[in-house]
Amino acid sequence: MLAFIIRRLLILPIILIGVTLLIFSMIWMLGPERLIGTYVKSPEALKSEKAVERLIQKYGLDRPAPEMYVKWLGNVLKGDFGYSNVGRQGVLQSIMELIPYTFELALYALIPVVFVGIWLGVIAGSHQDKPLDHGIRIFAIIGWSLPDYVFGLLVLLVFYSYLKWFPPGFLSDASMKVMREGPWKDITHFVTIDAILNWRFDILWDAIRHLIAPLLTLSYLWWAYILRITRSSMLEVLRKDYVRTARAKGLSEKVVINKHVKRNALIPVATVSGGMIVQLFAGTVIVETIFARPGLGRFTATAAVTLDYFSVIGAALFFSLILIVTNLIVDISYALIDPRIRLS
Amino acid sequence: MQKKLFVLFICLLALTLSAFAAVKDPDTIVNAEYGAPETLDPHAEWDNASGAVINNLYDNLIKYVGETIEFEPMLSTAVPTPENGLLKDNGKTYIFPIRKGVKFHSGNILTPKDIEYTFERGFLADNSSGAVTLIIEAVSGGEFYTVADWFEAYAGMAYSDAVNDDREPTSAEAKAKLIGFYNEVIDPLFVVEGDNFIVNMKDAFAPFLFIIVKYAGWGSIIDSQWCMANGEWDWKADGWWKWHDRTPEESALHMADAGCGPYKLAVWDQTNNMVVMERFDDYWQGPAKTKTLIFKTVEEYSTRKAMLEAGDADLVLVDPIYRYDFDNNPDIEVISGHPRAQVTSIHMGWKVQETSEYIGSGKLDGNGIPADFFTDINVRAGILHAFNYDALIDDLVNGLGKRVPTDLPEGFLGFDPTLPVYEFDLGKAEKAWKAAWGGEVWENGFKLVAMYNAGNEVRQTACEMLKVYVESINPKFQVEVLGVQWPTYLKATREELCPLYIIGWVADYPDAHNFFSTYYHSNGYYGKRHGGEYNDFAKEYLDPIIDVAVKETDVNKRIEMYAELQKILLENYIATPLYMPQGLYVARKWLKGFFPHLLRSSGDRTPEFYYAWKE
Repeated sequence: MLAFIIRRLLILPIILIGVTLLIFSMIWMLGPERLIGTYVKSPEALKSEKAVERLIQKYGLDRPAPEMYVKWLGNVLKGDFGYSNVGRQGVLQSIMELIPYTFELALYALIPVVFVGIWLGVIAGSHQDKPLDHGIRIFAIIGWSLPDYVFGLLVLLVFYSYLKWFPPGFLSDASMKVMREGPWKDITHFVTIDAILNWRFDILWDAIRHLIAPLLTLSYLWWAYILRITRSSMLEVLRKDYVRTARAKGLSEKVVINKHVKRNALIPVATVSGGMIVQLFAGTVIVETIFARPGLGRFTATAAVTLDYFSVIGAALFFSLILIVTNLIVDISYALIDPRIRLS
Repeated sequence: MQKKLFVLFICLLALTLSAFAAVKDPDTIVNAEYGAPETLDPHAEWDNASGAVINNLYDNLIKYVGETIEFEPMLSTAVPTPENGLLKDNGKTYIFPIRKGVKFHSGNILTPKDIEYTFERGFLADNSSGAVTLIIEAVSGGEFYTVADWFEAYAGMAYSDAVNDDREPTSAEAKAKLIGFYNEVIDPLFVVEGDNFIVNMKDAFAPFLFIIVKYAGWGSIIDSQWCMANGEWDWKADGWWKWHDRTPEESALHMADAGCGPYKLAVWDQTNNMVVMERFDDYWQGPAKTKTLIFKTVEEYSTRKAMLEAGDADLVLVDPIYRYDFDNNPDIEVISGHPRAQVTSIHMGWKVQETSEYIGSGKLDGNGIPADFFTDINVRAGILHAFNYDALIDDLVNGLGKRVPTDLPEGFLGFDPTLPVYEFDLGKAEKAWKAAWGGEVWENGFKLVAMYNAGNEVRQTACEMLKVYVESINPKFQVEVLGVQWPTYLKATREELCPLYIIGWVADYPDAHNFFSTYYHSNGYYGKRHGGEYNDFAKEYLDPIIDVAVKETDVNKRIEMYAELQKILLENYIATPLYMPQGLYVARKWLKGFFPHLLRSSGDRTPEFYYAWKE
């Protein structure tokens, strides 16, 4: 397994370079006169005859794409990913600063997705065609059919506009003032954990209030997805001979489900989990925008809209890294779930 | 017992409701906007969001009186006029007596030297994305837009030849010229004599005061001692080029505050997309009424709306299409219909590049248009009479627009409401089309591309509306509506590739010159894009009036000149306004003190925060 992991890790830089090359080429094909749009917020700024040339020269947009790419890559190797207009600081610093926000959201979303999704799938699968199964399936169909953008707005409308329970944003202004002016220490950069470590349960509660609506939006779609996969897989495994044998041996249904069915039914779930984790991160683009939360999703969306190319490339690299690492973890988890699978 | 419980329930309900109706955090005003500031350096900014923040951090030499565009003193104790002798030499010398006892946020005391430093620093920094170009244009009497151009005229060598990529002079001669340029050209422009700050213009430029007045962030006065202590220009002739045309983030003022305005910067939180400002208690006009200002960037309208309804935002940016969303909410105040210093126009290129991909066959054969299609006055008339202006205003912008005769907003010098506007009259349009190009247009038809920047729904629908009406006149007429991305749009308009496109202009300063020069001068931002034949026309009939009017200090004479200019524009179907957008202010009723202003950044939808409070 170690050889497998090492081999996969060695491929990592090649894939990342491929990703950057692709994005870089796409952006540079726009040409220098379009790329200055990143730096010009008012068309009047181009009033002077030489304004365009001046901006192109200032930001080095007139150099050939290969030269620019090599220069950029050289800087990246030195840890300089360029300046982010969206983050108003270096791309790497921006991403590093935003990672905890998005991770916190995505990881907390993952917990209900995996546990509730699997749990509901198991229940549905083991109660096939019974009212419980039908109810869960309706829940899944709604979740799978509603675009997260629409669902997010609905959540906002119900839980904030009407009920006034879960406000948008990251924290209330009062909590942010405490974090800014102290006493407060950023220890893990996960505000929920830091709030506990700082013994500020008021901020913890505030953070949770701000997390619930985005979490619900982000996870509902994947609850639906995971429970559907789990249910199908459960039904398939339930029809296997060894399950019939287990039942014939007189084992209780609980033991049959938990010991013989669930574990085997989880392999397809593990397969889709990799993609799901990446999709959860991608989902933050919508969720962070609707709920006005800081994070990589909102950062990437703003960068793409404003043609902030260094930020776009940086974010793409980050998401590629997540995808590759997640896939690696999924491959490894196959072996752990099913000892018959050997990585070679 | 039941009765008692009922009374208790009612009391609790009333208490709950009163708690909701109470002013939320009366010491803090929260403004939720769409865009985030680009920079807080006054000499590098040129966008609404930055301007809105800078306006609270900095003060200028003069300011507007309330909603008007009349001036009153600010950091200068008098407004220069010919009458008070502070504007002399035929409009070339401005004298500003500087106020005493004004404190910067750093604790430093304002002196006339700070004003001199401010103007020289702005000039020499001349950030290529910033608006200092407006001051350069004014002080040079309209001759230059950049310091680099001015240097080239002085030194006889291009700035890029004098300074290399490492910001070092390329030779001893270049260095001597750079130093000489500051000593001989820039330094004499801005002078301190006693308590007075004096601007010696190269030539008269009537709108100068409009360019540096409060609400023009680039006219903000900065703390010279703070700047020099924080690595900004050291005020020496030798080396000024090191601070020239940097990227905004290279400036010490990019995320800091060196002003003396009513608020000081507490934090610009990039992560959470918000700017927090705290009241400056030593402000020379007395402390502001509200302690804290928070400007949040919230891209999604539904979120902004929900925040406003919940009272978590006191005012929010609302697009005209959502104008009626708050009609039934008793806690929300909506004020609309006030003028904005902006015009949206339909532009017709008189001479498009022959290579343009947007002119089809390039001939009058029904599959395209000739590159000089719009040189014929009848073609322009045919377009302008086929546009349903009222429908556009009523349906597309929910009535938040007003027709104007030429591309000049209401309220500006020279605006004449008695001038006619083009009628939507398909009969007149048909007559014009029949006469166009000696009848050839009517006979052969054409295929015209109408362009807009993708994502702008108003402009898209306006183009589609034009398509419907023009195509209804003659089945041989075809209009293709094309949305292109903003960078492509920018490039295509600049390179004279667009035959017909819709775009707007927001005033940099409230003077007619800013619009007339931009739209109609042969060298104007839009004017020059109309191509060679337009330029010939403009040089003969329009430029002479525009050039003279901008130097004229007698207001009545200027009005006469602009009246003559507008007559020519209308007779020749050169003025092409669609509408002037009108303001929309949406806020909680507990927020008081709003008055709109044409020139304040977001001044149609946010108050002047110094005067705003909650109750």
